[in-house]
Amino acid sequence: MNFAFTKEEEAFRTEVREFISGAMTDDIPSRWLGGLLDTPVRQEFVTKMADKGWLSIGFPEKYGGTESTMPLAQYVLNEELHMAQAPIVGKNLGVVVNTLLHQGSEELKQEFVPRILRNEIQWALAYTEPEAGSDLANMQCKAVLDGDEYVINGQKRFITSAHFADYMWTGVRTDPDASKHKGISLLILDMDSPGITITPIWTIIGERTNDVFLDNVRVPKERLVGEENKGWQYITEALTYERFAMTSIAPTVRKFQRFVDFVKETEVEGKRLADDPVVRRKIARLSVLVEIGRMLDFRCVAMAVKPDYVPYIEAAMNKMWGGIVETEMSDQFLDILGPHGYLWKDSEAKASEDALLDGDVADDYLWAGHQRVAAAGVDISKNIIARRHLNLPSG
Amino acid sequence: MDMEFTEEQQHLMNSARSFLAKECPSALVRELETSELGFSPGLWRKMAELGWLGLPFPEEYDGYGMGAIDLVVLGKELGRVLCPSPYIPTVVLSGGAIVAAGSEEQKSLHLPRIISGEELIAFALQESGGSYSGRGINTTATEAGDGFVLNGTKMFVEFAEAADRLLVVAHTSGDADSTDGLTMFLVDAKSAGVQLTPLSTLARDKQCRVDLKDVKVTSDDVLGPVGGAWPLLEKTVHTGVVTVCAYMVGASETIHHMANEFAKERVQFGRPIGSFQAIQHYLAQTITEIIGADTVTIYAAWALDNDLPHRTIVAKAKSFTGDTFKQASSIGAQIHGGLGYNEEVDTTLFLRRGKQYQLSMGDSGHWEDVIAEELLDS
Repeated sequence: MNFAFTKEEEAFRTEVREFISGAMTDDIPSRWLGGLLDTPVRQEFVTKMADKGWLSIGFPEKYGGTESTMPLAQYVLNEELHMAQAPIVGKNLGVVVNTLLHQGSEELKQEFVPRILRNEIQWALAYTEPEAGSDLANMQCKAVLDGDEYVINGQKRFITSAHFADYMWTGVRTDPDASKHKGISLLILDMDSPGITITPIWTIIGERTNDVFLDNVRVPKERLVGEENKGWQYITEALTYERFAMTSIAPTVRKFQRFVDFVKETEVEGKRLADDPVVRRKIARLSVLVEIGRMLDFRCVAMAVKPDYVPYIEAAMNKMWGGIVETEMSDQFLDILGPHGYLWKDSEAKASEDALLDGDVADDYLWAGHQRVAAAGVDISKNIIARRHLNLPSG
Repeated sequence: MDMEFTEEQQHLMNSARSFLAKECPSALVRELETSELGFSPGLWRKMAELGWLGLPFPEEYDGYGMGAIDLVVLGKELGRVLCPSPYIPTVVLSGGAIVAAGSEEQKSLHLPRIISGEELIAFALQESGGSYSGRGINTTATEAGDGFVLNGTKMFVEFAEAADRLLVVAHTSGDADSTDGLTMFLVDAKSAGVQLTPLSTLARDKQCRVDLKDVKVTSDDVLGPVGGAWPLLEKTVHTGVVTVCAYMVGASETIHHMANEFAKERVQFGRPIGSFQAIQHYLAQTITEIIGADTVTIYAAWALDNDLPHRTIVAKAKSFTGDTFKQASSIGAQIHGGLGYNEEVDTTLFLRRGKQYQLSMGDSGHWEDVIAEELLDS
């Protein structure tokens, strides 16, 4: 039993911190969880990391990777990036590279993996549809083989990076007659293909996601990932990586620490906020919930580095707890701040003068609920735990 | 990062589990609730034979030199069957205090006797305020002749009636707001002026109020430096708290498992109730909380074993694990429906202890105050 990081990992952490303090600028932090690479400065920041070889850690050299003796290097890197609100090493590696390396053809690996590790191409993940949300396997977007090409028709919803991505990692239905989990395939779409229309959807905190309409979009059949009709298996495996690689507890830890500093420094009517017994209990209670999040995160990571083990259950637990803590925490913070807490930002995203903590707590409150629903949220995670871990019968 | 137990620890876990399944069925737990002693001397003797009572003590005193993580491994198994025993007060707390603060003579006198099961020591720290972090102690010890005279009232002294000695923590100087000036005494339980009053509890365990009225002790009964107990005792107290956390994790796992299996078998509305999401989500959230409690308990033990700062993490572990056990036992009984509240069904054993342990050895609010101090006053 050992909860410590190795000396090598700690040395790497120091190196990452030094890099961040040198490369970080005010226009990099994003309110999105994990930070989208939707602006040139954010992309440039990640390219600098790629130049240092940090996107390629642990991947095979044959595809541009760097062998590593640090199993937790990527975790340490993301933890530090989260703490600095910098863009993390996210879905491009966690989902696309991992899945391509496990399931993709040699051609796809060679075509895409090295370019992703150099941060030359951006990706959108496209599974969700208007009728495929929690019931993700109900996707209807259809792909029909016509000669050497698939022809795709349908609609994808909440496709977060679609408006700047180069490629779209798309779940499609290739066998309409099979049961819903068995007729899904994964295709890589070039976003320049004719027939793709992208329209924005604006979230409650003013960030952009998208509807993507696919009208007779043609994709070479070589762009099929793995085998036809095995897409569901690949998607669920990759969602596990997403659940712990991208939704780590670190952003919650960062917000908690910032708030603790705030209540220590702030006086209300001549009295330190941190001396109010109600505030003290609330902060202590939340610190426990955050700590448990860190414990579940540790457990997930410790299991994930075992060979051939997919931490499906651990990731679901992590995801569930993250959603619960984030909503509870942002709500309690606003209660502590009182009416000043809801002073928010104007249409230019500038916080009003009287707002506390730059209006960020109000942002967090509005966005926290999203963490209860995104990428298999609290309730779907509970279903997974109940069925797959507790072996409870389905209805 | 490595979250596996060692081979020895796995061996301890497996052998403890099979031993206790056989030797400590729920029928025994029920029987002991109404027995005079509240624990089974026969079982205690067997635990001594297995070497469990020497687990955390140095090898030179016949112990096994094991650490807090090993105590967690054993504590979980004791909790899994709700085993009533003086293990925590006698071995972990009193024995731990003797190791931390005792003279050579005291160690070689008491430790082998604790290890063999011959001597029971009750741990008299807490008073009516419920603090478990060295504050709120109003019991005093005044120098008189060759020794001291003790006066005060100790609360929640477990197994005091069966104990040969009481480890009493009292102020020789300083006041109740401070941990300065505390001194430990190993008081003969039969001393004049010691009055024991059994306290009936929710869990029907053996708690006592101990009134000390002009109790005379000699300087030989002083354990550790006069006025300097707390810096030596704090880590032992934390080890005891972590062991009770492990006990609660084990108990939570049992009640969760009972409810989970019941939900698979119990048919209502024509289907097993475990197929309803209302039930599934209770069980899914509870098992996640149990795993969180388990991990934070092990983490706290790891911090203790490695001499890392441990005050906050122990406080977090007790606060969360107490809440988790309470919640797991409430949900566990609820899933059993009306049956869950029948005295003869084991859910009630857990339901009663779930709340009691949450409130014992510092309740959640107490430990939250400790956390707040560490986070906000530094």
